Amino acid sequence: MQRRDFLKNLGVGAAGAVILPSVSFAADAPKPKGSNALPYKDALNAVTGGKTPEVSDKVSLKVPEIAENGAVVPVTVEVESPMTDSDYVKAIHVFAAKNANSRCIDVYLSPANGKAMLATRIKLGETQEVVAVAELSNGKFLMASQSVKVTIGGCG
Amino acid sequence: MAKRKSLIKIKPKSFTDGEVVKVSFMVMHPMETGMRKDKKTKELIPAEYITKVVFEYNGKVITTMKVWESLSVNPVFTTYMKIDGAGVLKVIFTDSKGEVQETIEKIKPKG
Amino acid sequence: MRKGMRIVLCVALLSSLTFASEQFAMSDADRAMYEELLENNPADMLLAHGSELLEELGGESALAKYLGVSEDALAPYLAGFPRYIVKFKMVVSIDQMLQGMMHDSGQKPYTLKSSEMVNLSSYVKSIANDQQINIDINANEYMKEAYALGKVVFETKRGARGLSCLSCHNQSVIGSILRTQPLPDISAKGNASAATWPAYRMTKSALATLQKRFQGCMNNALLAVIPLGSKEMTALEVYFTEEAKGATIALPGLKR
Repeated sequence: MQRRDFLKNLGVGAAGAVILPSVSFAADAPKPKGSNALPYKDALNAVTGGKTPEVSDKVSLKVPEIAENGAVVPVTVEVESPMTDSDYVKAIHVFAAKNANSRCIDVYLSPANGKAMLATRIKLGETQEVVAVAELSNGKFLMASQSVKVTIGGCG
Repeated sequence: MAKRKSLIKIKPKSFTDGEVVKVSFMVMHPMETGMRKDKKTKELIPAEYITKVVFEYNGKVITTMKVWESLSVNPVFTTYMKIDGAGVLKVIFTDSKGEVQETIEKIKPKG
Repeated sequence: MRKGMRIVLCVALLSSLTFASEQFAMSDADRAMYEELLENNPADMLLAHGSELLEELGGESALAKYLGVSEDALAPYLAGFPRYIVKFKMVVSIDQMLQGMMHDSGQKPYTLKSSEMVNLSSYVKSIANDQQINIDINANEYMKEAYALGKVVFETKRGARGLSCLSCHNQSVIGSILRTQPLPDISAKGNASAATWPAYRMTKSALATLQKRFQGCMNNALLAVIPLGSKEMTALEVYFTEEAKGATIALPGLKR
């Protein structure tokens, strides 16, 4: 069929009927896995030594609800802390729960930072949870998470 | 390899000693995951991504970042830092091919 | 197969203009977060490179001298491009003017599509940051002609889908959501494209000029691509710039 005719004939039903097979084709294709591939649970355990982080509003995670573009997703993590020698945030870890390598970045801080914050931009392969874990100087782990909907990149 | 374009930005631009300022480091880097195929050759493009970024202020390490391939192309890294005298901020990155590069910004608190 | 899929997706997304468009609209909080990214625009590194390239040509003073204006008048003068330049006998954009400057100083000009020229011309346009676009399409017959041609290029339906620029940038569809993005109002009342390009495109991880963006759009919409710096392409830039007249230049932009 000519593309022009195809467009002309387009309706809800037609679009749906054509999309479904394409999407299932995409899902069947094997995903390549890099040598760093590590599922989220394993990556989290490696950071916390098996401890379960406490969900805390002291960790503020800012990500968009809907990503304009999975290739550039802004992430900001701020942790409430006095950042003194006796009480500070040692590290901020960011995970993308469904990326083949769920680890994005591990930031090691010190009281010389003055404030515990990280802002960067990550790639998300699909709609998923982004998780921020803060490691405190007293050995505690706090966390926050939010789902990010990744829409199709489309015509590019 | 030619030096990659990079930039350190401090916000606010003018600051006093003891002030906590926002520091951003950005670099033109492909952040190849090693899982992407070349559209023409259909071959996998080899991995090439930043593995480490170190912020060093007057010879003291302030922040160390362990970086993975899921950071965006031409990445930007922002944290805070407490101004502690005039001097130099160095940001050193290493990538998965072993490339190491340093970017320098002079720190001049006023007053 | 990939190509096939892409076409199907484009069609599906186009159709989302007419039904179920709301579900992918971004929230204001999300939009604010993306706007914050401007604070650290990767294109800042490329404009810094462009600034070094201009220094090699003698810097802003040499540029002002070449254009026959005082250094103080350089920024507002640059805010009026594309312009008819007597010695070129044609209407030119900033990049072509820079080619002329390089040529006249005995250097081999960068090609319009080279990254050097994109970085250099983007930096030079950014000298006019905070200035209002002051293009004058009535300055002479050449500018009048260029604007008229630009309007024709903007409105002419071409290619396999029979689309024109106007198909997606007319008052009745502006604001409709296409791929999470509202279709932009190119005028000064909206996002004033001519004042926010050159911009870093996150989908391409690269800095592009307005003319390069036009080419990308033509390519996606299946229109034969008009060459950079051609009479028609410059005319289209004149048309977009006139639409954005009065808007404050803020470069580099940051776009999806």
